[in-house]
Amino acid sequence: MAQETSKNIRVGLFVLIGTILLIFSFYLIGSKQNLFGSNFRLSAQFHNVNGLMPGNNVRFTGIDVGTVESVEIINDTTVNVVMIIEDKVQEFIKKNATAIVGTDGLMGNKLININSSKEDAPSVEDGDVLLAHKPVGTDEMMKTLNITNENVREITVEIKNIVKKLNSPNTLWSILMDTVVAENVKQAIVNIKVTGERTAIITGDLSRIVQHVKEGKGTIGALLTDTAFSTQLHQSIVNIKLISDSLALVSGDLHYITSHVKSGKGAIGTVLMDTNFVNNLNKSMINIESGTKNFDQDMEALKHNILLRNYFKKQEKKKAKEQK
Amino acid sequence: MIKNIFIEIGLISRFTGRFFREAFKPRFEFSEFLRQCYYIGNKSLPLVAITAFIMGLVITIQSRPTLVEFGAQAWLPKMVSVSLVREIAPVITALICAGKIGSGIGAELGSMKVTEQIDAMDVSGTNPYKFLVVTRVMSTTLMIPILAILADAVSLYGGYLGANIRGVVSWDLYWNQVFDTLVFGDVVPSIIKTFFFGFAIGIIGCYKGFNSNKGTEGVGQSANSAVVVSSLLVFIIDLLAVQITDILNLN
Repeated sequence: MAQETSKNIRVGLFVLIGTILLIFSFYLIGSKQNLFGSNFRLSAQFHNVNGLMPGNNVRFTGIDVGTVESVEIINDTTVNVVMIIEDKVQEFIKKNATAIVGTDGLMGNKLININSSKEDAPSVEDGDVLLAHKPVGTDEMMKTLNITNENVREITVEIKNIVKKLNSPNTLWSILMDTVVAENVKQAIVNIKVTGERTAIITGDLSRIVQHVKEGKGTIGALLTDTAFSTQLHQSIVNIKLISDSLALVSGDLHYITSHVKSGKGAIGTVLMDTNFVNNLNKSMINIESGTKNFDQDMEALKHNILLRNYFKKQEKKKAKEQK
Repeated sequence: MIKNIFIEIGLISRFTGRFFREAFKPRFEFSEFLRQCYYIGNKSLPLVAITAFIMGLVITIQSRPTLVEFGAQAWLPKMVSVSLVREIAPVITALICAGKIGSGIGAELGSMKVTEQIDAMDVSGTNPYKFLVVTRVMSTTLMIPILAILADAVSLYGGYLGANIRGVVSWDLYWNQVFDTLVFGDVVPSIIKTFFFGFAIGIIGCYKGFNSNKGTEGVGQSANSAVVVSSLLVFIIDLLAVQITDILNLN
């Protein structure tokens, strides 16, 4: 009988352990599906739920906080999704939070992500409707990528052109690559430097000169600073003016004289303007010429005269000596 | 041949019908029921536990390379837990029990039949069907689900060890992932079907033993066919169970 009892105890233990395991696993599974904890309901209305099903997880800031209870079509563009959320996160979900259909990993189950908004708002209550965001569809991503690709293509073509132009001869690039130019530029810089140094010296000199001028040293300085000199200059100018006045009078007189001369008045006028006188003078000149010729012959005859012949011979000998 | 099969099915059905008539009528053989529970449940546990442990370990190690190929070794606990709980642990438990318990019942009742002990019970005023069949079928129906639950637990532990041979999965993470993946749709149908497995194993074993003849040769035959038919029936019930859960949208 005692053996029978111990067997019965073992059977009882066996059944108990099995049942406890079953209940425990049911509890664990149930707690994941929020069947036993207290919870509340939220809903959101989507255009497209991408295959979301009742039982999918609901995440708030990345933590599983509930499950999808039902997915129902309300009308041709709206799907209502009711979610069961744990009570303990109610205070953290605000009324302006947004719901979006996402995926667990790259190819996992669909789920709903509840995202907080930056603005402050009161906490949600049971039965509230959250704002639904359109999930980023692959098609839209592809559309955007297509535009991006087009832009990248255009940009690369432009860059290619620019590079080609830069590489072709007689451009900026050739200038940059030319060592002679570089050497010249270097030389030019050296020259500029030298010029600069000289300019500095010149300006120094100029500065000194200006200083001297200011101090009244040198001619210009004297000119600019000597008051006595300026008085003398003033006097000179006055004198020049007086002289020019006198000159004006003289030229007036001269004008008078020449007009008299032209009209044949006075001695000079007669000489210059009287045609009879000119003719007489002409005749006189002719007479003088013939007179001189005769006189010349007389003189030649005189040379050969015995009285005078010695004198002329002496004269010739003296000339010949001087020439030697 | 086909006629014989139809006769056999008809006889099994009538035998099953008799079980339901007898089972709910007093008087109940409670101490015999507990004794059978001890032999069927407790005595089978080591065998079931070892088998389940090895199955969990092997399934995990075998699944790993395929999942690594997809870069999804993190999904190992999830995948292993679903396949173990839904299918492998219940069916392995049922097959082990069909081999161990079905043959035991078939041989025991068969030898009682050929040595005319059953007839003697009838004469002495004890209902042999109530005393022998109802207690055994009741205990297999109730013990095999418990064995299956324990097998689930042990095989999942084997899966944990298997996952840690190559990779590293912490104890907490493993069980979190397991219970994150499992839903009632996985566990409840698999537990319910083990009741039918147990019932089928018990009823076939008893039927074969109760109807054995041709002396000691018949005892061996009835033990053998009890194992074969109950194993076959386990798979047929499994097929039905998966179809029913599919209709109920629990897959």
